[in-house]
Amino acid sequence: MTAISPLIVEGLSFRYRSRELPAIQDINLSIEPAQIVLLAGASGCGKTTLIRCINGLIPRSYKGDVSGRVWLQGQEVKDLSLARISQLVGTVLQDPERQILGSVVMNEVAFGLENLGWERAAIRQAVDETLARLNISHLRDRQTHSLSGGEKQKVALAGVLAMRPNILVLDEPLASLDPASAQEALDLVRTLADEGMTVLMVEHRVEDVLRIQPERVLFMQDGRIRFDGRPEVMQKNVDYHEVKLPAAMILAAARADAPPSEINPLPAAAQDAPLAPLVQFKDVTFGYESGLEVLHGVDLQINRGDVIAVLGPNGAGKTTLIKHAIGLLKPTSGQVLVNGRDTHQLSVAEIASTLGYVFQSPSHMLFAPTVREELAFGPTNLKHSPQVIGEEVSQAVEIVNLVGFEETPPLSMSFGQQKRVSIAAILAMRSRILVMDEPTAGQDYKNYMAFMNSILQLPTFEAILFITHDIDLAVIYANRVWMVNQGQVVADGVPQEVLRDQERLRTNRLVPTSLLQANLDYFPMTQKFYSAEGLAHRIPAGD
Amino acid sequence: MLVTWRYKPRKSLIQSFDPRAWIIFYACFLASTVLFWDFRYQAALFILTMITVLTSGIKFSEMKRAWIFIGGFVIFFSLLTFLTGRGGVELYKEEHLISRLAANFTILGWRPTLTITAEKIMYAVTMLVRVFSLASMTILIPYSLNPAHYGITFRGLGLPDKVAYGMDLTMRFIPSFGRDFMLTRDAQRARGYELEKITGGLFATVRKLAPLIVPVTIHAIVSSEDIIDAMDLRAFGVGPRTWLEQLVYRKRDRLLIAFGIFLIGFSIGLSLLGFGKFWVPQFLLAAAA
Repeated sequence: MTAISPLIVEGLSFRYRSRELPAIQDINLSIEPAQIVLLAGASGCGKTTLIRCINGLIPRSYKGDVSGRVWLQGQEVKDLSLARISQLVGTVLQDPERQILGSVVMNEVAFGLENLGWERAAIRQAVDETLARLNISHLRDRQTHSLSGGEKQKVALAGVLAMRPNILVLDEPLASLDPASAQEALDLVRTLADEGMTVLMVEHRVEDVLRIQPERVLFMQDGRIRFDGRPEVMQKNVDYHEVKLPAAMILAAARADAPPSEINPLPAAAQDAPLAPLVQFKDVTFGYESGLEVLHGVDLQINRGDVIAVLGPNGAGKTTLIKHAIGLLKPTSGQVLVNGRDTHQLSVAEIASTLGYVFQSPSHMLFAPTVREELAFGPTNLKHSPQVIGEEVSQAVEIVNLVGFEETPPLSMSFGQQKRVSIAAILAMRSRILVMDEPTAGQDYKNYMAFMNSILQLPTFEAILFITHDIDLAVIYANRVWMVNQGQVVADGVPQEVLRDQERLRTNRLVPTSLLQANLDYFPMTQKFYSAEGLAHRIPAGD
Repeated sequence: MLVTWRYKPRKSLIQSFDPRAWIIFYACFLASTVLFWDFRYQAALFILTMITVLTSGIKFSEMKRAWIFIGGFVIFFSLLTFLTGRGGVELYKEEHLISRLAANFTILGWRPTLTITAEKIMYAVTMLVRVFSLASMTILIPYSLNPAHYGITFRGLGLPDKVAYGMDLTMRFIPSFGRDFMLTRDAQRARGYELEKITGGLFATVRKLAPLIVPVTIHAIVSSEDIIDAMDLRAFGVGPRTWLEQLVYRKRDRLLIAFGIFLIGFSIGLSLLGFGKFWVPQFLLAAAA
């Protein structure tokens, strides 16, 4: 053992008390100071468990069988108090909402130092320095719950950095951020590492992290480390189906594989049908009770055959806009028509048979003792017959890849699985339009690509709309893009038009991805946007 | 994450005091109010309440929902007590009948009859004023107490660190619970669930409420586990804690506490001397005669 290494893991295995199989097995790791180490892998591969062993939550908060050892700055974790560990390792969780405790930014950032019993003047100075370092001094006196997603993530990071840890552990820090905020967060991480901090970052959006040139990449699968090395050589060792690699790497690797099957979206919409819009927004304005106007004069239509990606920064009004389509919110002025009828005259339950809405957070809707009953709830409310409900449930389970889990209690499942149950619960209702609010958040790449492929090709939907921060999802699946900013739809058109304008992307806090760039480059040849695997088989091998 | 009540800094009487001083005064006020059943005493305390409400700087539109909810609740129960004649019987021994209204129908041989007596009227009116005073003073607190000061306020009142921080979290848990409830209600409505159409007996109703109750409860449990993890990761409870915010008593705060203590002392004194018991004005007794 070399004492200088900030983090050493030796032969570490852990099994949660409630599980039969170990979550991680025989992990060996030694990290050099001032490096960024990217830890990638699909959900359930053991990333979070490894982090919990490093920051001391295992075995203090999570019980089970541990073997092996973890050293921080040459001191074994099991011999250290949580107070000492928290000064050595700072942990930023995936969702800042689950981490922020203080009601005001100042108190939140000061929380750890208050607990360590520092003098008031020293705390104030440390808080001010940390806020200044992250360029968020202006947020100091704001209430934490009123911050945007990106601001919350930075404040959560500030709360950890104020304690001046040597090692920073980040668990999927980009999940809830718009692309520009994600890039800012990543740049910040690079700066911290350059200043001497050791960073261990868990993320399956590998492409985004590669931009800040991590010194090392670890790839985990089934609780074990399968690859450990420089990012340049990861392409050969990492399965491009499991984590999101840059387009160039996939283009190179996918040529050797069989071409992916062509996606034939919305087969139901291809049939002849009346051309009346399914949903229509007419000069819709909306404001909350506080008097703040969120939507300003929105005119829109959802037509048969539309696969719409709704893009825009955190807090732009995307969710507010979509909640009008299902009647959960009613316009202050203007009209929303669903099937030609004003939502003021319809109950949400009536609209639900036309428009299925998947909420962002699954934990707000799951209640039934089994997955089967959970999925039957919606169709039963819509008075479908028991036989039809049986078929709807089986098909939905298949699409989200949860066959075999029908009798499992949804509340005992992982977050990713719960999210898929929440999507299946709406699929089972067989509405004509499907609306999903950030369907891929908290999901791993492999799973969300699989269910997006299946959902798009379902025979029941006439239109699909999804809110996302992931431009690539718009590139691969959408035939129409709405860009929403400051309560207005600032662009509405086909992806190749809307996403071509770099300046427009920048002002809407979007960052072009390598897949978008590759598609734009080859567009004269392909005349259509494709996934990287699809593109690999449509362009000449020499390119 | 925890959200806070709709506090904002206002130029108002209540916010001009140290929150600890206000909480002490509030406790004295509550104790005094529950000591008396004399309408005249309650009216005096109600005037004090109204002065606080009217100088609070909180717009009616901001508090509208809370007022409608609590007002509706108080009026409903006062009316119910009045109509059924239950409650208050320990306060008076004899009743003076003003009017007896009998229904012109019977239900299974029972004829509903409303007996209006001078005592019942005064009991209902006094109850109404009394509960309104208590409720009004309570409603003001979340709007007027800076969330950043919750913890230090309770610490300053002598509670240990852990309990004071726990109180801080609890104060913020209530509005967070409300927000989670709304989110769940919306998510289930989007699945065709109609709360309005729930029918059946007590057990059937509770069972049909499961789509609301289960997610909200589970979410609350999971959130509290997250909160515990987040606190552990930042060394909460490892030793004596520094509270960044500092509260300092000024002269006006001491005067308010003195006034609060005087109020409760005076009230206890009056009460022991037999003042402030249930009172019926002469004109009502005359009407009964």
